[in-house]
Amino acid sequence: MSKIKHLYWRAGFGLSPQEWEERKNWRITKAVDQLFKEAKAAGPLQALNVSSVTSKPTKEQRKMERKRVGRQNTAWLVRMANPNESALMERMSLFWHGHFACSSKLSKLAFNQINAIREHALGNFRDLVLAVAKDPSMIRYLNNQQNKKNKPNENFARELMELFTIGRGNYTEQDIKEAARAFTGWSSNLGGKFVFRRRQHDFGSKTFMGKTGKFDGDEIIDIILEQRATAQFICTKIYRYFVNEKVDTRIVNRLADQFYKSDYNIEALMRSIFTSDWFYDKKNIGIKIKSPVDLVVGMSRGLNIQYDNEQALIFAQKALGQVLFNPPNVAGWAGGKAWIDNSTMMLRLNLVTYLLYASDVDFRTKSDLKASSRNKAMRKLEANVNLVPLQQMLSTNDKERTIEELSDFLLQRDPAVDKKLIQQYAQSGTDQDFIKMAIARITSLPEYQLC
Amino acid sequence: MKRRNFIKTSALASTALWVPSFLKGNTTSPVLKTRSGKILIIVQLGGGNDGLNTVVPYRNDLYYKYRPSLGIKQKDVLKVSDQLGFNPEMQALQSLYDQGLLSVVNNVGYPNPDRSHFRSMDIWHTASDSTEYLSTGWLGRYLDNDCRGCATPYHALEVDDSLSLAMKGINNSGFAMGDAKRLRKATDNKFLKAVAQHDHDHDHENVEYLYKTMIDTQHSAEYLYQQSKVYQSKVKYPNTPFGKDLKQISELITADTDTKIYYTSLTGFDTHANQKGKQGRLLKQYAEGMKALVEDLKRNNLLNDTLIMTFSEFGRRVKQNGSGGTDHGTANNLFLIGGNLNKAGFYNNGPDLQKLDKGDLIYQVDFRNVYATILENWLEADAPAVLGKNFTKLNIL
Repeated sequence: MSKIKHLYWRAGFGLSPQEWEERKNWRITKAVDQLFKEAKAAGPLQALNVSSVTSKPTKEQRKMERKRVGRQNTAWLVRMANPNESALMERMSLFWHGHFACSSKLSKLAFNQINAIREHALGNFRDLVLAVAKDPSMIRYLNNQQNKKNKPNENFARELMELFTIGRGNYTEQDIKEAARAFTGWSSNLGGKFVFRRRQHDFGSKTFMGKTGKFDGDEIIDIILEQRATAQFICTKIYRYFVNEKVDTRIVNRLADQFYKSDYNIEALMRSIFTSDWFYDKKNIGIKIKSPVDLVVGMSRGLNIQYDNEQALIFAQKALGQVLFNPPNVAGWAGGKAWIDNSTMMLRLNLVTYLLYASDVDFRTKSDLKASSRNKAMRKLEANVNLVPLQQMLSTNDKERTIEELSDFLLQRDPAVDKKLIQQYAQSGTDQDFIKMAIARITSLPEYQLC
Repeated sequence: MKRRNFIKTSALASTALWVPSFLKGNTTSPVLKTRSGKILIIVQLGGGNDGLNTVVPYRNDLYYKYRPSLGIKQKDVLKVSDQLGFNPEMQALQSLYDQGLLSVVNNVGYPNPDRSHFRSMDIWHTASDSTEYLSTGWLGRYLDNDCRGCATPYHALEVDDSLSLAMKGINNSGFAMGDAKRLRKATDNKFLKAVAQHDHDHDHENVEYLYKTMIDTQHSAEYLYQQSKVYQSKVKYPNTPFGKDLKQISELITADTDTKIYYTSLTGFDTHANQKGKQGRLLKQYAEGMKALVEDLKRNNLLNDTLIMTFSEFGRRVKQNGSGGTDHGTANNLFLIGGNLNKAGFYNNGPDLQKLDKGDLIYQVDFRNVYATILENWLEADAPAVLGKNFTKLNIL
């Protein structure tokens, strides 16, 4: 399997046919440089619909905000799928979006949060953590509004350590209590901006992870990052996400040393992963189960899919179990095999076919618990699939060869079944019909679910 | 597992079990034998059902004080004890109560209750503490924990197109089927059937897992479709999607389907405004659905083998709000229905309205005590292994 494709799947969302044509023979170092160059040039997400609602929405406003968050969601997905955008920046922001999992019902706050994350996505982890700690969505999500000198709320302090930085087993319950005190008064105002409320802040002395002082939140984050265990925790998570769920301790230890010594430089860490030999070991290629976003974005990029009605994108996320800006809880999406059950599996296998042939989907997503009745079933996914670039990529009319080339492009591992079987079930009319059917068959193989 | 072995067991699981019921396909007469296997049905009331207007403490002045217009008038309450009675729309449920087929557990909840629908439902589904985040559900973990006779992928079936967290385990999960015909259509792909037939070994567990899930789904869809045609119920269910789901469950059970756990839900209980009519209609639908299901199972001599548990993610605040509704609250009542209850009627007293926590009911029974009881006494499972902790069992089953 091509190293370039592996790199693009893990550092991005796969390649478009044009990108593939252009880059398939690039050296890895060149491709990696290009990825980082593009990421640096990438701008923030563009505000589509500026909302002024930043607190206490009315019922009507809540409804509007839901729609606005939905539009931001699909705009982001479309950007991820756009070959003219930085693949790496979108991949990194998606990773951190799942790491600092937070859902906000207010579009402006959700939007500000993801752009704060993007700003530091390849920067310094300390700045990233600090930006999240001062982010109004997160402050509200984890009840830091209620964290006051006389009545501390430990929610943020607990998740900061358990999920965002150092992980379980590296702090005590007392550390949580002391950290919570240091974050008292870190609040957000009605305008949706961070404010430090002096009168709610506990300026007293705290003892945290063996140190004593009149710490505030910044210093707590510094102390957490002074622990090598934090570098270990983050590198383990990054390895599991970008490389392999099965952790190679030796490699992760090395990465953690480097990350720690570099004072938490994310770019340096990612560069060394993408340029290392072990990243391209056979055991790491084509074994990761695509998340619903990986799947949808990857197929949109690979098959040039444009959505007339972006409801199709929302539907796919809901039905497959990953909705941007709405993770299940602060622990984020579980990932891996947890994406797969009989329902999501059949939908995944059929998804490209539904789009290619505008065939009957007939699938009802679960209704929101607030809803008064069940959702209507989704009937058709409206989209335009432009197969011309893919057809142009093919070198020959020969059917066997065509299957070979399409599989190479679309799959990250050799299919378990004989390719003759694909050819046999793709027989139909014109060459174009054959190519379309072959794509439908190949993308319905379980192997298409892996990257 | 090697692919070859897997296909073998998979084929066994489907065809061996499939043939007898298929042969029974023509008999529409009730199947009269008693099964050894116990059946569990979970009914989820989504949105947070207002327990205080479901089981009404009609003798409690505080109830009427907190709910001057929303409270159900004493004369309208379907009185079943000297303190408690049902919502007037629940006559059908009252009849189950009168027959000793219903047990009401009052004040069920958990420590540090969360008032977000989503989070609280997660807590009920995963059986976690409110400070803990789990990605597997209690029934999924039951399937993962070496439950006997759970070899089939449809051992636990959710009557819906997608699967709830409660049914997700690590290696095993429940099976989602909104409708047997539609599922069959979604899996009816001749190419993928040919792919499944192909014998191959996989060198990575994720590939193995994807193939296994695909093949299981194909077999299960076919099996369940055949099973869905075995028995056609004559009982009248509410003419709603929920009623249809209950009917499908009853027909599958009666057809001796190799499914032991069923999961279904009724939604719309988030009654912040104009609660009375909305909740009344839903409770009526629920009660009539339960009555029909019980009658159906009874006709087929299956009621003693069936337990139905009904829950909601939280109850609502004691005090009515300014829009004729109620806001999110905490503890709630939980219903168990079946022919084999240890203690029919009220398991415990109704809520103490004098002792509230900032206007909310204080839970007395942790819902995980109920789960532990069902797991051990009904499903014969190792409850601490599934729940991760030891929860005392209740004397209800």
